[in-house]
Amino acid sequence: MSHSESYVVETKNLTKRYGDFVALDDLSIHVKKGQILGFIGPNGAGKTTTIKILVGLSRPTSGSAFISGVNCSENAGRIKHLVGYMPDKFGSYDNMRVREYLDFFGAVFGLQGSQRTKRIDEVLEVTNSRYMQDKFVESLSHGMQQRVGIARTLLHNPQVLILDEPANGLDPKARIEMREILLRLAAEGKTLIVTSHILPELARICDTVAIITGGKLRAFGALDDVMRDLCPTRSYEVQLLSETDVSKADAIVRQHLGANAELQLSKQERVIRFPTAESEQALSELLKNLLQQGVMVSQFREVVGDLEDAFLSVASGPANDSK
Amino acid sequence: MKEAILFWLNPIFRRELLDRLRSWKTLIAIASVAVVSCGLVLLRWPTDSTVDIVSQGAVLIFRPLAFAVTLAVMMLVPAFPATSLVSERKKGTLAILLNSPMTPVQIYLGKLASNVTLGAILMSASLPAFAACVAMGGISIRDHLGPMILVFLAMSLQYTAVGLWISQRSQSTDASLRWTYIAVLFLVLFSIAPMVFVGKLDGPKAFLAQALTAVSPASALQQITSSQGAAAVLGIQTGWGAFLIASVLITVVLAVLTLRSLDPIKLDRARPTGKIIARDANKAGVLRSVNYIVDPNKRKSGIPRWLNPIMVKEFRTRKFGRLHWLIRLIFICAIVSLGLTVVAATGTVSWGVARIASSMVLMQLGLLLLVGPSLGANLFASELESGGWPILRTSPISSLKIVSGKLMSVVWTLLLVLLASLPGYAVMSYIQPDLSGQVSNVMISMLVAIALVVCISACVSTFAKSTAAATAMSYGVLLTLFAGTLLVWLAQGRPFGALFVERVLMFNPAAAALSEMKAPGFEAYRLAPMCWWIGLGISAGCAILMSIRVWKMTRPD
Repeated sequence: MSHSESYVVETKNLTKRYGDFVALDDLSIHVKKGQILGFIGPNGAGKTTTIKILVGLSRPTSGSAFISGVNCSENAGRIKHLVGYMPDKFGSYDNMRVREYLDFFGAVFGLQGSQRTKRIDEVLEVTNSRYMQDKFVESLSHGMQQRVGIARTLLHNPQVLILDEPANGLDPKARIEMREILLRLAAEGKTLIVTSHILPELARICDTVAIITGGKLRAFGALDDVMRDLCPTRSYEVQLLSETDVSKADAIVRQHLGANAELQLSKQERVIRFPTAESEQALSELLKNLLQQGVMVSQFREVVGDLEDAFLSVASGPANDSK
Repeated sequence: MKEAILFWLNPIFRRELLDRLRSWKTLIAIASVAVVSCGLVLLRWPTDSTVDIVSQGAVLIFRPLAFAVTLAVMMLVPAFPATSLVSERKKGTLAILLNSPMTPVQIYLGKLASNVTLGAILMSASLPAFAACVAMGGISIRDHLGPMILVFLAMSLQYTAVGLWISQRSQSTDASLRWTYIAVLFLVLFSIAPMVFVGKLDGPKAFLAQALTAVSPASALQQITSSQGAAAVLGIQTGWGAFLIASVLITVVLAVLTLRSLDPIKLDRARPTGKIIARDANKAGVLRSVNYIVDPNKRKSGIPRWLNPIMVKEFRTRKFGRLHWLIRLIFICAIVSLGLTVVAATGTVSWGVARIASSMVLMQLGLLLLVGPSLGANLFASELESGGWPILRTSPISSLKIVSGKLMSVVWTLLLVLLASLPGYAVMSYIQPDLSGQVSNVMISMLVAIALVVCISACVSTFAKSTAAATAMSYGVLLTLFAGTLLVWLAQGRPFGALFVERVLMFNPAAAALSEMKAPGFEAYRLAPMCWWIGLGISAGCAILMSIRVWKMTRPD
């Protein structure tokens, strides 16, 4: 099996122009089976354009997109069976109960008779929505509607789920429930592409992230790799036992890092914080130094940066400013 | 003067009026009124040197002009207030307004005044044409033009109050539009209906029927234009003064009702969540199974394989499209049908077939125009508005199945309405067997009318971005086609010749039905089968345009 064949979702040099405006510029990404791709970008970055091409709602100006090896623009009919798409707007119908809503879309996707009934029961179970099956769709809360939306995308058992802002507007409890559902689906072998503005939420579920601004791909890869690439200087924190050790530790750290090192001291907290690009080896030397010189260290730890830092470093970067 | 300035300072009045005057739709409406009214005068303007000493020419042009402006006020004035409060509530701006220092009375008066002013501006576009009638002689400002203007203003006031009241009670803009137009049609036409049955009698019933006619502008128009139309034939005696009083009373009552519900506490209504009641072996369950043929609170089975899911969805998403409502509708149709049969059986002998058949055709046309455009206009615009369309686009269902499912959901409903009159026609054919051919032609004409209503409103729906715009546009187009052509017929002889009237009526299948039944005033016209072909041609054109549009909408961008 070639490398390309192992990807469930793949875009190759995807470009979309609307007149002079370039909505998407040479985008190449790929996702493997069972992975969750977090698709991140500010408003108007090109996320929805990419999604529209992937689900067959838009044609690229150049380049190509594939889902399970099927070309999205040339074979839109097959793509509809392979992808479950949940747009950012729910798409409710008045006067319809949840079960009727799912029954309608089941019929639209060609599921018949007992097969449809069984599948509706299954998706209601997966999304913990069974208790709301008799409620009117328009009367549901936003969080409940999002769960029904996911149930609808699962009806025809697609390989790939593309969810546009599924956590948008959800309260913390609903967000946790949504996260659990998405992780469960990935564990069942579904491939997910999820866009969101709530980056800490994405960081908790995604294996892979793609950061896009101004139609260009700024970063793509495994979450840890992207974080490392985009945030090369990591932050460390030294927690001391005694307040009197702070000045002594400060001098040792400055000696190790150089005079220009940006250190933050807090005598009350008995903490020293500093950013560094040094290797793990060099940092273990620093810790050894501190201990050898009698500084009582209770903790020496990395302050983990989050996806927001990575996104901000890209979004405020020079390539973005030139736009 | 000070009060006038204060009124102008009402921010609601200022914003709403300026907002509407800035709209190109308002500009088109004003220009249309001006062009049509001036066109009517130009057609009748004397070109020979003969002096019209009795000034009948001005009266003959004044009459259709008055009817044309009445129709314009009926069609255009209710559109804005019908969407006003409901759209403010949906956008959340009504809550902000009610939370401001403005009182509900100020908010209401601002909305009412802005729309009446707009109605006055709309009407003023026809003033040059009316002035020309006065200049021609025979039309006086005191007896004709002044009362006419007062009637138009009263209509604007009444229909604005109706629109605002319905808008306050509705859950969606299109439902509000639909019910407002239905209410206006009832006020204009159906308020006269009791006169048909009891008008010629004496006693309190006849008095009430006579008093009810004051609600309709028909009596006022009849008095001002001195016409001998249907109102005169029915013996309506209420004039324009009564209409003004009735309009003010209706406005006051509706204003009070609207203001009573324009309260943040009353607006805080719980959404119906839906409840399924299991038919258990308990007492309530047994009672429900006995009581209901189709239990509205019983969980529905899935969509059958042999039915188009889009059609089923369309029925289910309509408030009155559920099976238990359809059964009620069928029963109502059956009762109406029985009533018509009795009327046809008793009336054919005493009133004559033509009059009975004309009433039935007009009743069917009224129902078609009430129900059809609102259903048809919702078909595609509501999908776009609700966000359901992108989901349908990513499903494997074909555009042909979408179009056929949606169209059939409207066709079946309208056929049900049409079928209610079948027994009545059957009775007429039984009493006069030689009528069976004419009855068949009437049914064909009404089927063509259904095709026109469905195809035009559905076609309009594919071009509109909101259901409110689609509904208003559909009503506008279909009222122009059906009521506008009858307006030309009203002006037959002067200024329009018989040939011109016949050509115009060719676009109206209801006119073909009336001519087939030899209804009074339609005896001279031979409209079928050409009218059917034209109607089917327009329907086919709209259907093709709609299909292309839907096909394009399902394609990738």
